[in-house]
Amino acid sequence: MPLSYREIIMSLILILATTTAVRSQANLPMPRRYVEDYANVINGTDEQSLNRILQELEQKTGAQYIILTVQTTGGLPIEQFSIELAEKWKLGQKGKDNGMLFVLAKNDRKWRFEVGYGLEGFVTDLYCSRIGRNVLTPYLKKGDYSKGIYEANLQIIQTIASEAGVTLTGMPEIKPTPVGPRRRSLPCCSILPLLIFIFLMFGGFGGRMMGWWFFLPFMLGGFGSPGGYGRSGSFGGGSFGGSFGGFGGGMGGGFGGGGASGGW
Amino acid sequence: MRNFGKAWIILVVLLIALLLVGLGIFRWYISGYNKAVNLEQEVEKAWSDIDAVLQRRIDLVPNLVQTVKGYAEHEKELFENIAKSREKYFQAGNRAGKIEASNELGGFLSRLLMLQERYPDLKANENFLSLQAQLEGTENRISVARTRYNEAAKQLNSYYRQFFGSFFCRRAGVEPVEYFEATEQAQTEVPQVEF
Repeated sequence: MPLSYREIIMSLILILATTTAVRSQANLPMPRRYVEDYANVINGTDEQSLNRILQELEQKTGAQYIILTVQTTGGLPIEQFSIELAEKWKLGQKGKDNGMLFVLAKNDRKWRFEVGYGLEGFVTDLYCSRIGRNVLTPYLKKGDYSKGIYEANLQIIQTIASEAGVTLTGMPEIKPTPVGPRRRSLPCCSILPLLIFIFLMFGGFGGRMMGWWFFLPFMLGGFGSPGGYGRSGSFGGGSFGGSFGGFGGGMGGGFGGGGASGGW
Repeated sequence: MRNFGKAWIILVVLLIALLLVGLGIFRWYISGYNKAVNLEQEVEKAWSDIDAVLQRRIDLVPNLVQTVKGYAEHEKELFENIAKSREKYFQAGNRAGKIEASNELGGFLSRLLMLQERYPDLKANENFLSLQAQLEGTENRISVARTRYNEAAKQLNSYYRQFFGSFFCRRAGVEPVEYFEATEQAQTEVPQVEF
């Protein structure tokens, strides 16, 4: 018996519902600036100043520090929300894992500092918790979100800078961080077919079977650009035309759930 | 002579075709086998991350207990249970044992943190607050590591259940692995603190 339209539509809805249920995770686009104030709680001066200093921080230490405010995490625990975004954006440099994400969810009345692996040594859970409790929360309770976010994050920024042995002036260089678009494929991969060809030409077939057929899997597999290199395309980085506060995208840093969270 | 030439060509073509098919199968075998090995490596790596954060929690325990003891002498039973499950963790020989012991310990520790409701002086103790912050950070790390481990375990286990996956897994000596399920107690009693 053929399925009726009703059944088909019902099952389609069911499939859609289950797949979206699984995927109901934190989902925000890669930040274009260091301060992404979706909840609109940071005033213009503070935002500009934080943007500048965070750009300078990245220029001088490589650490990528994003300040994010949202209305709500959409029912997710803020810990899950922030780790998912940090993982998705891959803040911090690959290998150095010096990424940092501050999240404030205004309507949920929750905050969190998410600390990359490489910063955990000196931006400890305890330190984040103290900054959150003693600096951030008192301002939040008074309703002065902007000041609270500014003061609290500035302290952590200074800590990261002094650990790296640099001082921040609040004036980043005008030329953007050299994180230009990376090559899609390794140079060796375009030479490889040629090498194999030469090898085949001069190596000959007779009696050398074991020699060249080892390479055949590569040849059969093609030489498409290897996956996982460079960033995932959507934010073709590099060119912010010298503007202040432009964020070029994550660089592959890792997070392990370090940091602290709280509410007010 | 002509026929012979034709047969020769056919033979060569056939040989090449055979060779290509053979190579295809060889490639497929290698990639299937390697996948099994790689999935197992991922699981091992994820487990070692869990091991590290669990150890971190275990290291926090003596200090935390010591601090709380000064305020809550009557909670002897809880302190004993914590010591017991800590011992159990150290003695656990395999993953399942470690998972069980650490779930148990997690439950007791969250009860320990909740003592601050009954003994308000605790809340004012800076040492307690800092240990609490560290414990919360560690609990969060455990949950992150657990999610990643379970993800890796799922990949491996579902490969193991696939048609050819099990074949390759057995070839590579890869066994399905245990999931790290959080107990209900641990889930409901995650230390939540309002500052």
